[in-house]
Amino acid sequence: MPEGFHDVAWLARTRAEGDVAAWLERLPYARHIGVSATPDGAGDGLVFHLEPHEHNVGNILLPALHGGVVAAFMETAGTLDLMLSAREPRLPRIVDFSIDYLRTARVVPTHARCRLLREGRRLANVQVIAWQESEAQPVATARLHLVLGASRKDDA
Amino acid sequence: MNERDEPQNEPATAGRSPEAWRAGLSRFVNVIPHTRELGLEVEEVSPPKVRMRLPWRDELLGDSGRGLVHGGVLTMLLDTVCGSAVLCGLPAPEVCPTLDLRVDHYRPALAGKPIMAEARVLRVTGAMVFTEGTLWQEPGRTIARGIGNFVRLGARNTPPGFAETLFGEAGHA
Repeated sequence: MPEGFHDVAWLARTRAEGDVAAWLERLPYARHIGVSATPDGAGDGLVFHLEPHEHNVGNILLPALHGGVVAAFMETAGTLDLMLSAREPRLPRIVDFSIDYLRTARVVPTHARCRLLREGRRLANVQVIAWQESEAQPVATARLHLVLGASRKDDA
Repeated sequence: MNERDEPQNEPATAGRSPEAWRAGLSRFVNVIPHTRELGLEVEEVSPPKVRMRLPWRDELLGDSGRGLVHGGVLTMLLDTVCGSAVLCGLPAPEVCPTLDLRVDHYRPALAGKPIMAEARVLRVTGAMVFTEGTLWQEPGRTIARGIGNFVRLGARNTPPGFAETLFGEAGHA
């Protein structure tokens, strides 16, 4: 069986190493839009980044990033952040996602930070804030509900 | 301002055939770099309802091990199809950014199959356009549902000739 998210041993190992890059390698769409993660200088979590690729543009007049691409970036950030910060190595599945657009996302690097507001036995709530030049002026806020998979085997 | 009682005789949109709308919105999604690159197709438009088709390609994967589509693809698709429905739900096309979007994931989308997207405008007010959209791969088996609210920037903030460009009538601009 090839290693991947369904492989609990692989998930536990990459998680212990904080190897978010290994996770991103197995997320082709996240790679397509250019998502990466670096350790948060201000804390013990992660800061996620979105490349301002030309193919991420959604409005050529302004120009601005595609709102759906910003959403996909924040959804990816929230999911990976939960995989890293949850109590156990468990594979989350998105239940629902909500995003509020606060400002035009220009075609420059975008960053995001996540907060795990609740981790229950089965469900988690993650908040994501995205910004560009200044964290004090977010371009969007989002939140996700995720179901946490079984820690031993896939409960799908 | 009257909410629904705006003039409906705006020449840019009144009396457009479904085929003219289909061609116009095809042009719209082909001008957007992200959807052009993914090859998004407009299948049918009957204002204020739009149906699109996203052909399969490997970049859409979210979990290559299990062969599942990335959830973000579904959010992006709902934003695009709802935003396109907005254009044909207004008396005249206006620039309308997304205010907020909520997506419910009913079941995973599977690799290798196109994703169908349909959206409609539910209500237009002076300030807002309310929409809903649905995605599926197999008829009757919804993958995700979305509710998108869009802000009307009005004719003043819409570039002159926006509708004419949409319908490929640059000569009128």
